[in-house]
Order: sequence, then structure tokens, then C-alpha cells
Amino acid sequence: MVNNKGKSSGDPITRWLVIGMVALVVVVGAGISIFNNTSKKSAVIPSAASVKDGYGIVFNGDLTPVIDIWEDFQCPSCKAFEGTNGDALKALAVEKKAKVVFHPLSFLGPESVYAANGAACAADQGKFLEYHSFMYANQPAENSGAWSNEGVIATAAAAGITGAEFEACVNKGKYADWVGNVGSEGSKQNINSTPTVFINGKEIDRASGAYYSAPEFMKLLVAAGIK
Amino acid sequence: MKLPNFLTETRLNWFGLIARLTLGGVIFVAGALKVTTPYKSAAAMRAYELLPISVANFFGYVLPWFEVGLGALLILGVSTRFSAFFAGSLMIVFIFAISSAWVRGLSIDCGCFGGGGQVAPGETKYLQEIVRDFGIALLGVYLYRRPHTKWALEPGSR
Repeated sequence: MVNNKGKSSGDPITRWLVIGMVALVVVVGAGISIFNNTSKKSAVIPSAASVKDGYGIVFNGDLTPVIDIWEDFQCPSCKAFEGTNGDALKALAVEKKAKVVFHPLSFLGPESVYAANGAACAADQGKFLEYHSFMYANQPAENSGAWSNEGVIATAAAAGITGAEFEACVNKGKYADWVGNVGSEGSKQNINSTPTVFINGKEIDRASGAYYSAPEFMKLLVAAGIK
Repeated sequence: MKLPNFLTETRLNWFGLIARLTLGGVIFVAGALKVTTPYKSAAAMRAYELLPISVANFFGYVLPWFEVGLGALLILGVSTRFSAFFAGSLMIVFIFAISSAWVRGLSIDCGCFGGGGQVAPGETKYLQEIVRDFGIALLGVYLYRRPHTKWALEPGSR
């Protein structure tokens, strides 16, 4: 097969320059992805979170049963789950009937990180649950630019979460590394979709319909010993 | 090899350009859509249940960047033959992975262009995904056999 008909087979400098640059981008990019998704010991952890509970935000740490919620503030199914079962979960947390652990993931990219960072900042103000409900109720389209730091502050303000400390925490991305650690833990625990909910360590079967049916979810809670 | 008359060098070079841009474009876009969401990419990789979790996570983070690089080389037309070989091989690996998920009765999205992970049992698209990847793989085979194309940065592409 003669393709070149005597033409020079290209400038070797161009060839290696291009290959070199592309290889550099790939190696640096992959390196950053791996680094960003590796748990960082230096991460600042919100006081409501617990390292041994997968860095989740914990309510009623000494109670049983234990309910773990792996979610993403930007995910529409998580909004649906929150709409169906959010009030029941919040009641468990507030009325001290179960240990409830929230794990805000960032499956859906940068705006999920801002939202999750904001959740930790709200937890510092003792307003995690308020923030949680309100953000889902006002969930914008995925990565539409609505949840920048300013957007998170504005949304939280509408939920009554304000103050210089909160704003500084959001703007600094104080807990961004913590969000990374939550995600890294989720990867280790094989959380492949959101929402994923565990009751006493047992993943709720998606076929059971409990994610989007309050009575089905309640049955599981009752079976786990909640009155 | 004696070419049929209508397949002139020029025409084949133009076809090669289309093949190169299609193959490179698809792979580049597939990678670019995933580089910003490494968690999701890793989750899509884990959902195949083919690799140990830590290995799947590693490939989940690295593969999108690899696709971006491979796509860029094909679009630019540098080392087309080599890139086409990798692109075609990648598609064959994907076809095996998707088929294996299908055979094992998993309900997942291939996660080829972002997304991925479990889906409802009725929402799998294994056949479409396999046919698409097979078509893309054929472009890779063509370019491997005949890497010389129009408007390549490196005309006598290796």
C-alpha cells in the first residue's frame, strides 16, 4: 500500500511535539483526577461529621438503627427521594429515634461540590436539616451556573441561614476537601448511584419501591425497629 | 493492492478524513464529558462489576483523560495509525464489557458519554451500545489499514 507517493512523511518535530503535548495533558489531567479523589488527611472536617462514619454528617451518633443516605444535591432522583421521605428522615433525626448519617456526594460535578460545602457550613450553624430541605426544594437544572458560591449563599439566606461566618465558610470553600473525602469514601463503599440509602448497613433494594414511596419506606423503618 | 477504479487515492483520503474526524470526535467528546465528573466516571466503571473496586476507581479517573488525548491525536491527524489501533482496541474492550454486563443480567447504563451506573431493568440499551461501538471500531480498523488522510497534521501518518 503506497500512500505517500514520495511525499515526506511529515515533520517529525511536529509529530513529537503534538504527541508530547497531548501526553502531558493526559498525564496531568489524570493525575489531578486521581489526586482530587484521594482522601486528604489535611481536610478540615465539620464538627458534625464523623470520620468513622465515612465522613458523613451525623445525627444522634449513639443511637440505633442507623440510616445512611448517600446523595447529591444536584441529582433529580435525590430531590424525589427527599420529597417523598425527607420529612420522615428529619423527624428521626430531630426526635432522636435513629442515627441518621448524610453523605453529600459530588457525582454531578462542581456545583455539587459548592452545594455540599454549603451543607457543611450550614451544619456548623446547626442548620443542616433546614439547608438540606430548602436546597432540594429549590434545586436548579444540573450545572446551570445557579449554584455558584453566591447562589448557595442566596439560596441559604432564603432558608434563614445567614451570617458572616456562614458566608465566609462558603466563599472559602472551607469544606471542599471534606467533600472530596466523602466522595472518596463513597467510591470505596461502591456507591454507584444516588440516592443510595442503607438501613443498618443493608442497602435498600431499588426494586422495593421504597425510595419513592413513603409507606414502603416506613415499612422498612418499622422493620428496623422504629416506632 | 489494486484498488477498484472509483476508489481513487483522493476519494479514499477524503473518506479517511471523515473516518478520522468521526472516530476522533466521538472519543474526544466521550472523554471530555466525563473529565469534569470523575466520581461518576469511577462509579460507572464499578457498576460493571468486572474489576476490584480500587482498580475500577483508578480506571474511572484515568480513562476519560486517555480518551481526550486519543481523540485529540485523531482529530489533529498525528500518528493516526497508532491512535486508530488504540481507539479500535478500546471499542472492542467496551463491547466485551457491555456484553458481559448484558449476559450477567446487570441493569446498567454503559456510561460511555457520562452517566452510567444502575438503571431500571427496562431501560438498558445494550444492543444499541454494542452496535454503535462496533461501528466505531470499524472506523478504527479502516484507519489502521489506511492511515493516510486529507488534512492531517502529519500527512504520512504512522
